[in-house]
Amino acid sequence: MEAIKLQLANRTLLKHSSPQWKRAPLQDVALQATDTETQPSPYVRAVWAGKRVGAVPTISVQAAYNRQNLFFRLEWPDPTHDADYGDGLVFPDAAAVLFPGDGDPPLARMGSPKAGIDAWYWRANRDEGESLAFHGFATEEPQAAQFVVTSADWEDGRWRVVIGGPVDVATDHKRVAFAVWEGSNQERAGLHSYSPQWQELSIG
Amino acid sequence: MNAKGNAATQKQAAMVFDLNKCMGCQTCSVACKTLWTRAEGQEYQWWCTVNTLPGRGHPRDWESMGGGYADDVPQAGRRPARQEWGGGWDFNYDEVLHSGKGQSVHLQVVGEQPEWGPNWDEDQGAGEYPNSYFFYLPRLCNHCTKPACVEACPRGAMSKREEDGIVLRDESRCRGYQFCLEACPYKKIYFNFAREVSEHCILCYPRLEQNVAPSCVRGCPGRAVWFGLLDDETSPVHKLVKKWEVALPLHPEYGTEPNVFYIPPILPARLNEANDFEEGQPRVPTEYLESLFGPRVRPALETLSREMESTRSGGKSELMDTLIAYWWKDMFKPFDQDPGEIEWSRTPGGQPGQGAG
Repeated sequence: MEAIKLQLANRTLLKHSSPQWKRAPLQDVALQATDTETQPSPYVRAVWAGKRVGAVPTISVQAAYNRQNLFFRLEWPDPTHDADYGDGLVFPDAAAVLFPGDGDPPLARMGSPKAGIDAWYWRANRDEGESLAFHGFATEEPQAAQFVVTSADWEDGRWRVVIGGPVDVATDHKRVAFAVWEGSNQERAGLHSYSPQWQELSIG
Repeated sequence: MNAKGNAATQKQAAMVFDLNKCMGCQTCSVACKTLWTRAEGQEYQWWCTVNTLPGRGHPRDWESMGGGYADDVPQAGRRPARQEWGGGWDFNYDEVLHSGKGQSVHLQVVGEQPEWGPNWDEDQGAGEYPNSYFFYLPRLCNHCTKPACVEACPRGAMSKREEDGIVLRDESRCRGYQFCLEACPYKKIYFNFAREVSEHCILCYPRLEQNVAPSCVRGCPGRAVWFGLLDDETSPVHKLVKKWEVALPLHPEYGTEPNVFYIPPILPARLNEANDFEEGQPRVPTEYLESLFGPRVRPALETLSREMESTRSGGKSELMDTLIAYWWKDMFKPFDQDPGEIEWSRTPGGQPGQGAG
C-alpha cells in the first residue's frame, strides 16, 4: 500500500471528492468474511453458523499524506445506505483502517490478547472517528488518545469514506489492513469482512 | 460462577404476580417509568408493562420472535422493529392547549400515526359473549437463572450478580451490538437509540441494597405482587413457588429459567344457554394457560381450587392467607424499608432519585 505525499490542507484531503485524490494510486483490496465458529459468543456461534458474513467482498483504497496526517480514501459499492439503526432492524455501516499493535496480530480474529490491533474506526452514524484497540473479536476499547478524523458520503449506491490520523502514528506501525461492517447484513462486533493479509505501508 | 451466567447464583431474587388480583391499572408500569426511564432515548421504553391476554403483547407478537434455548442450544431470535414497540410518541399539546383550538382539535400523535403501542390491545381478550374472557399479565425482565442475554454478549458486558441473581449490564462495556435483544426470548431489553446502549430492568437494585422493595412491587395498589429471595423459606415468594407450587414461570419452554412467576387466573366458570354456571368448565381454556405457563398449570389450579374450597368450608389455609396478603409489608419482607425514610443520593446523569414509591 503506497501513500503519496500531497501538500494539501487537512480539510482538502479529508474530502473524498477533492480532485487531487486522482493522483493517489488506487488499489483494490479483496476482503474475506470472519469465521463464525471462532466468535466469542455462544449465541453468535450457534445462530450465525452457515449464514453469510462479509457482504462487502472488495474495497478500493487510496492513501495520501501531508505534513501532519495520513488519510485513507475507501470506496465500495453498497446498495443499502445504513447511516443509522433505521427502524431498529439494521446497524450503521462501518469501516476501519487496521494497524498491528505489538507482534503479529491475527487479522482473522481481530488480534489476540497478546497481540493487539489498533484501529482507525469510522461508523456511518457518527461525525467523529474513533481510535480503538482490539485484542480479539468484539474486544475494542477506545484509546486514551482520540485523534481519528473521518468524513463519508453515500451516493449512487457507493460509500466514499476518508479516514485520517497522525502520519507518525501510521509510520510507526509500518503495516496496514482493512475491515468493513455491512449494517444491512447485521454485521457488527466480530461479524465483518477484512483484508486477510497485512500490507506493507510505504509512505514517501 | 457467575460471569457467564450459566449456573444458579447463591441467592436469587424473585417476584410472584397473582393474575387473579392484577387489575391492569399500570401503576407498576408508571412507577418504573417515572423512576428509571425518563431520559433521552428512553421515551419508548417501559421496563415493566401490563398487557391484556389473550393478546399480541408488547412488543407486538413478541412470543414469535425467538431467542432462549432449546435443549441448551441458543436459538435464533430477532430484534423488534421500532414500530413493533410503539410508544414514545409526540403529541400536539401546544396546538390543543395553547393555540386557542382546544374546542376544535383533539389530542393526537404528531407525525407518523402509530400502529402499535405498549398497551394497544387492552381489554380485547378472546371468546364469545357471554363467555368472553381476558386477564392481565404484568411483564418485566425475568432475571433468568440461565440468562440468554448474558451468554449472547460478545463483550462480557452483562452479568448475573452472585448475591441476588440480578442481571445487570456494564454500560462502559456495551457497544450497542444488541445480541442480548435477539437472545432474550421475552423481549424485555430495549435499545437506547440516543446513547447507543441496550437497557433493561435492573430490579431496582439500588433500592434492594437499602432493603427497599422494587418500585413496581411497592407501587401495586392491588396487593398482587410479592417479592423476596427464592430460597428464603420465610418469604411468601418461596412459599408460593417452592412450597405450594402455584406460582409458575411464563413460557418455561424458552429454557432460560425465569424468576418472575405467576399465579394462573381462575375466572368464573362458563355460562350455559340457560345462563347458569357450568362448574368444571373453565372460561379461560386450561390449554391456553398451559401454552403460557407450561404443564404445571393443572396441578397448580387443582391446589388453588382445593385450598379455596377448604377455606369456604371454614378451614384454615396458609396458601389462601398468603394470597390474600393481610399485611401489605409481609409481601416483600425483609425488603420492607420505607424509601421515604432513606436519604437517597442523586446520580450525576440526572436520573430521578430512588425515593419515589
